[in-house]
Amino acid sequence: MSKLRNVAVVAYSQAPFVPCDVHHTSTEMLYPEIRKALAACGVEREAIDYQVAGSADYVDGRVFGFVAAVDVMGSWPPKQDLHLEMDAGFAAHYAWMRMQAGDCDTAMVCGYGKPGEGETNRVLNLQLDPYYQGAMGLDLASTAALQASAYMKRSGSTDRNLAEVAARNRAAGAKNPDALLKDVATADELMRTSWQVEPLRRGYLAPTGETAVCLLLAAEGKAEKMCRKPVWIQGVDQRAELQSLGARDLARSEGAALASAKALEMAGVKGAAEVDLLELSALTPAEEMILLDALGLPPLGNRGPVVNPSGGPLAGSAIMMNGLVRLGEVFRQLSGTAANSVKDARRAIAHAAQGHCLQQNLFWVLGSERRWS
Amino acid sequence: MKRAVAVVGVGQTHHSSRRADKSMPGLIREAVDRALTDAGLQYEDIDAVVFGKAPDQLEGVMQPEQFLVGAVGAHLKPVVRVHTAGSVGASTALTAVTHVKSGLFNRVLAIAWEKQSEGNAMWALSPNMPFIAPLVAGAGGYFTPYIRAYIARTHAPGHIGPMIAANARDNAGRNEYAHLREPMTVEDVINSPMLWDPIRYLETCPSSDGAIALVLSNEELAKKGPRKPAWVLSGATFVEPMWVPGRDQVDPAAGRKCAKTVYEAAGVTDPWNQVDAVEMYVPFSWFEAMWLENLGFCEIGEGWKIVDRGEQKFGAHLPVNPSGGVLCTNPIGASGMLRVGEAALQVMGRAGAHQVDGAKLAVGHAYGGGAQYFSMWVVSSALN
Repeated sequence: MSKLRNVAVVAYSQAPFVPCDVHHTSTEMLYPEIRKALAACGVEREAIDYQVAGSADYVDGRVFGFVAAVDVMGSWPPKQDLHLEMDAGFAAHYAWMRMQAGDCDTAMVCGYGKPGEGETNRVLNLQLDPYYQGAMGLDLASTAALQASAYMKRSGSTDRNLAEVAARNRAAGAKNPDALLKDVATADELMRTSWQVEPLRRGYLAPTGETAVCLLLAAEGKAEKMCRKPVWIQGVDQRAELQSLGARDLARSEGAALASAKALEMAGVKGAAEVDLLELSALTPAEEMILLDALGLPPLGNRGPVVNPSGGPLAGSAIMMNGLVRLGEVFRQLSGTAANSVKDARRAIAHAAQGHCLQQNLFWVLGSERRWS
Repeated sequence: MKRAVAVVGVGQTHHSSRRADKSMPGLIREAVDRALTDAGLQYEDIDAVVFGKAPDQLEGVMQPEQFLVGAVGAHLKPVVRVHTAGSVGASTALTAVTHVKSGLFNRVLAIAWEKQSEGNAMWALSPNMPFIAPLVAGAGGYFTPYIRAYIARTHAPGHIGPMIAANARDNAGRNEYAHLREPMTVEDVINSPMLWDPIRYLETCPSSDGAIALVLSNEELAKKGPRKPAWVLSGATFVEPMWVPGRDQVDPAAGRKCAKTVYEAAGVTDPWNQVDAVEMYVPFSWFEAMWLENLGFCEIGEGWKIVDRGEQKFGAHLPVNPSGGVLCTNPIGASGMLRVGEAALQVMGRAGAHQVDGAKLAVGHAYGGGAQYFSMWVVSSALN
């Protein structure tokens, strides 16, 4: 791997995570977080070279939803900008790439949206191809259940295993003031919840809510001036797979395996076991187990690196923001500001995903140290 | 370190109001296959794919690139989806440029498309926002007041809009891929029904089905390719807010800033005399006069006079939209990439019957939102 530019996360701010904020628009939710992120770095908007956001018009329930966000991002006088119709975690990846291209030194990355005003599960039916899969009426829960079945059959995992994974996330979420669900639920309790789509119980599905996030990135030379403990990006990669559920082995994630291997290779890290913690965008316990399997880690997440100390999406899922929240949570862990702090954490993996059944995966390797000298 | 980036392949579909002969993946493949053939490449030569299109509500599929991954050979490759309103086609091309410029990718495929016949653009582009009165009927209803302001400020005579529309159609007659190619006179335009005064039916862009794909390459591989590439000398995407005191939608600050930025980076000091061809985003006739000013080709109030003198016609001083532009072909999400792709074709010397003789330096431009998003590039036949 040739030498790249050292880039760090230097600030992160997240709005309170609520089921549905009926008093604010998505941009009203976002604006205070932008101000807080800038204030944390002691800079004004003019110090930021580039802005990029990730959101989806179908989550907003209107066309050009992202145009409104431009108004609160400090875009006057005019600014260099981009919007991706993707999870905002991918927007952070693009900002990092612009720094590799030498096009900017600092960037603001925003995620927003109002999934609480719609029915995410049903809306995501529209993400499937309109000719075959979408027309069958499959929603997010039913495709996730197909994947969970495939994984359980291959691995021999049980209903209890899924409950244990969900309970571990819920216990972690209870320690995270920015989680949506802050109450603990035991595996036994979750196993008593009814089926949403067998083998997934209601207690195993990521609860949808609303928040807004702003994350700042800065290249070496500026990062140290903006943040006491910058969290350095050591490796990153993303991969998409075919959407067609019949064309993929749903019991595995080939894309996650490839993207994580490439990110670790870029970081010069032998394997995922060498990191202290992971933040994964898993919407079901089975997705988390498949991701850990792709990373070569024990799928129950009870040995090795700490998995989702924030509680992950199983303690609160903001669709199109989950990936950026994971990156932000890793920043908190490695900069020593996380509520549920993992002791002596120095290196971590953050993950973003989008599409049904982990169709597209993005992995970051981050650390307290610069990757390239 | 600055890395050079080039366009090595351009492919577009034949555009029409309804490409019922093709599915969405089929339409995209028509453009992608042509772009790859043009570049002499195969799917496995592509390292990443960047998609762009306008709102997903136009076809009714959320993030349709997710189901199109297989159609463009992107399985297990990085895939990105851009959406910056009407400017998206151009900003998608620039996103692909960044990928190559980062040094992490050798060749990147950029795809922009729209299949407007799958939905109803008039409905999708008339959003009923909470707490805002639904007074706007489509994009024309939004932009007309600014055209009227332009006319009031510059005292432009009424025939300028029809002249622009007739000239665009004349240009499209030389472009085999254009949607509307039937000849029409200034008289025909003036006699067409008034939609949003002063915009008549024949002064508006059509609804089209279509796609375009570009292959972007690093310097080393571009020089080894079978054809002469178009070198991307500079590119930028700027945005301004919807609501801010002092905004001027007739002469937007973001458009001016974008033009200034790309000219400076490309060493263009006198665009009117240095640029050989420009493909600009003109969805309603009058914007051609307005953007001639906003993009720095002339002083304020002079844009309509250039049109009146015919200096922007094919074969004249600065051919504007030699392809016929958005007024003749408008698959919304693809329209911006058609502008930057057509600019590339001009400097590659491969624009066919609408080739501007000896074009060496060309500008591609697109805009979107409420005249908020501006995306441009300067391409050249030579790297230095």
